[in-house]
Amino acid sequence: MSEKLQTLIIEDEELARNLLRSYLKDHPDIEVIGECENGFDGVKAINDKKPDLVFLDIQMPKITGFEMIELLDFKPQIIFTTAYDQYALKAFELNAVDYLLKPFSKDRMYSAIEKVQHRIQSGEDSAEKLEELTNLRSGEEFIDRVVVKDRHKIHIITVDKIRYIESLDDYVMIYTQDGRHMKQKTMKYFETNLDPKNFIRIHRSYIVQVDNIAEIQQYEKESYIVILKDTAKTKLKVSKTGYKKIKEVLHF
Amino acid sequence: MKHPLTNNYRLLGFYALFWAVIAVINIILQVIWYDVTLTESLLDTGTTYILYPLLGSSIWYSIRYNSLEETGIGRLVLFHLVAASILCGIWVTISYAIFQPFITEENHFLKDGFPSKIFAGYLMYAIYLVFFYAVNYYQSLKEKIKKEGEYKALIREAELQALKSQINPHFLFNSLNSISSLTVSNPEKAQEMVINLSTFMRYSLMHNEKEMVSFSRELENIKLYLSIEKVRFGKKLNAEFEIDAHCLESEIPNMILQPLFENAIKYGVYETTEQVTIKTTCVCEGNSLKIIILNDYDANSIKRKGEGIGLRNIRKRMEIIYNQPDLIKITDHKTSFEVQLIIPQKQAVS
Repeated sequence: MSEKLQTLIIEDEELARNLLRSYLKDHPDIEVIGECENGFDGVKAINDKKPDLVFLDIQMPKITGFEMIELLDFKPQIIFTTAYDQYALKAFELNAVDYLLKPFSKDRMYSAIEKVQHRIQSGEDSAEKLEELTNLRSGEEFIDRVVVKDRHKIHIITVDKIRYIESLDDYVMIYTQDGRHMKQKTMKYFETNLDPKNFIRIHRSYIVQVDNIAEIQQYEKESYIVILKDTAKTKLKVSKTGYKKIKEVLHF
Repeated sequence: MKHPLTNNYRLLGFYALFWAVIAVINIILQVIWYDVTLTESLLDTGTTYILYPLLGSSIWYSIRYNSLEETGIGRLVLFHLVAASILCGIWVTISYAIFQPFITEENHFLKDGFPSKIFAGYLMYAIYLVFFYAVNYYQSLKEKIKKEGEYKALIREAELQALKSQINPHFLFNSLNSISSLTVSNPEKAQEMVINLSTFMRYSLMHNEKEMVSFSRELENIKLYLSIEKVRFGKKLNAEFEIDAHCLESEIPNMILQPLFENAIKYGVYETTEQVTIKTTCVCEGNSLKIIILNDYDANSIKRKGEGIGLRNIRKRMEIIYNQPDLIKITDHKTSFEVQLIIPQKQAVS
């Protein structure tokens, strides 16, 4: 390997960063090109600098390492670092991604780097694997927020702000009180990861927050629409199964 | 405690059946043996064995608020004498009003019975008294046994939970990672942190031995915990204490504060990139120690979903120890989170 791996460190704790840096300093094939203290900076740095390798901490303020991956335009090789996270470990094992459990030794880190080097040599792409990882992520609990990126800004949307979600082929459009945000995720993902007590898949193309429904109207025999509580009185189609689900949740 | 008759329909059934049987026997005896007319017998029986049991069920309240343990014997006797007189007065008056139309020159059975009726009224009051005191005693005993069982189960659970949360794996492994880093850059500090971590863990482990500790001891442990976290979070974590020195000798349940600080760090420090202040204020007010823990948090990135398991456990534990609700109050100020804890003291702390 002639060129050094351009490496980025994303880790919120200073001491943990120091340790990573000091281990990496002695590795002949690594060149650390930057360090980030939080997920926001991390997303920007990866998209701008397009590193070969990233050491990514999972638990970070603002957005987690997993949420970060959802926002990347460019997917580098990633070695995750975490102290303790059972969900994460399960996801790592399932997807055979590289991870380091804190505290880890220099040897353990170097062998992880070696694996990455092999993968790069064999031309393996990490994008797909990472994609699946983020889908697997949310274990038993329902998600309580969604992160999105518009042009250059990252928004954290807590789920109570979501009015409804519309499917757009490979993307979804998330409508909130303040506007709308596009995200590369499937409807299925939101259907399974949002609490069904609060969010109903009323149609192939729509998931609606229950509190946002103002009215349900019959507009033809056997077909219904919901009218939302907004000034524009947005109308959304309801499918037959969707109508059943609404009835179940709202008890009428 | 609710009235045993309205609260327990089976007991109410037995009560009604008991008096019904007595009433029927009384009527049969009066009519067959004493040649009393059926109307008179019905009236006499009705007032004695139906009206009195109805009125008498209120005697429960007179014993409910005059417990044998807390009221002096003189007061007790006087109270019940007055209560019995009032009850008998009401009973006799109503009975007389019912009897009046039926009392004539020839039919004086009902009228003749009055003195003995008044006597019977007092006697029945005494019987009721014994009965209700027995019921009350039995109910309190049952409740006490139930509570004790609950208490024991909860202590065990709390201990386990406390142990779990104290040696929170996140906290432990991250601290160990910090130590690992410090051994390279600052071995002395690494050593200091190992010692702090050991002291903290030792305190956590001795948790099972003692339920109550002095506030100063608990506070020391909290400061140790925060100093360990401070090594990890650096400037991001800012802890401020405003402790009334008089409070230090107060008694406090062991390890009750640590989960609160852990929460403050988890939701406050961990979720933001700015500095978070955890401010602890303690004052002694009369017979209690008041502790307020206030921490900033970033409302944009986290939506607090009510009470987590940590807070729930503390609430439960406080309820069991002090048998008083509302000793813990939680207020979400949108950009800060406040937990207020009231620790009752046996003696006033001055």
